[in-house]
Amino acid sequence: MIVVLLILHGLLAVALLGAITHQALSVMTIAPAANSRWTFINRFRGVDATAYATPIVVLFAVTAIGGALLYPQYRIDVRPALEDTQNSAANGVFEIKEHLVAIGLGLLPAYWLFWRKRLGPETAATRRYLTWLLAFFVWWSFIVGHVLNDIRGLLPS
Amino acid sequence: MTGRLTIFSIMFGVIYLAAFYYDLALFRYYPEVGQFHFLRNDNLGVVILWYGWIATSALASAAIAFAVPKQMAERLWPGWAWIIPAAVVVGMLIYERRWFVS
Repeated sequence: MIVVLLILHGLLAVALLGAITHQALSVMTIAPAANSRWTFINRFRGVDATAYATPIVVLFAVTAIGGALLYPQYRIDVRPALEDTQNSAANGVFEIKEHLVAIGLGLLPAYWLFWRKRLGPETAATRRYLTWLLAFFVWWSFIVGHVLNDIRGLLPS
Repeated sequence: MTGRLTIFSIMFGVIYLAAFYYDLALFRYYPEVGQFHFLRNDNLGVVILWYGWIATSALASAAIAFAVPKQMAERLWPGWAWIIPAAVVVGMLIYERRWFVS
């Protein structure tokens, strides 16, 4: 059961990572020139960012709930093993992950509000920076989650 | 309502930072025995405070958001919605340096 939940959590995280990265790049101020080549990056950025807001809120919340359900197993099995091997950096990056996810959960109402209400150019900067903050939280959590999941294979035996 | 949602998001991070720094978890979960407790109980194995910190932050920031007068909430500069959470993240990262220094 825990393995199924772990895989589901990972798959949801992949979807969230893709969505937030599309949106984060789409709100960059440097717009491609009208006559520039239609590169992969331009295509990646050229999405309707507003359409991503609600799916990102749902994916963030559901992925965080999945992580919260997995957390007891981590606390019982993984963290003591990291402490036994004096691997405080691994514990530290996970602590930061849990803080970022919690702060991100609290940020979701404002993020959703500023994307749902098209308040005009005066709130464009707020939308952009809220999106980049969430993107940083998601990327950090994704990388740390995967590294810690695989840490026994990554560390020298 | 829009201003109050923004205040909720701003205050959530601030209160979460205070909750984990001062150990203000609303409740504690002991995963080895599968029990929730309001009070500290060292005989039940390892403890998870994270759920309790989130609950503390959610309740306290919701209370503040509803306590702020609506007109004042609506006048809030939108930039605070990301500046204060970003400052909370910086503060948290500074505190968590402890894991990486010997």
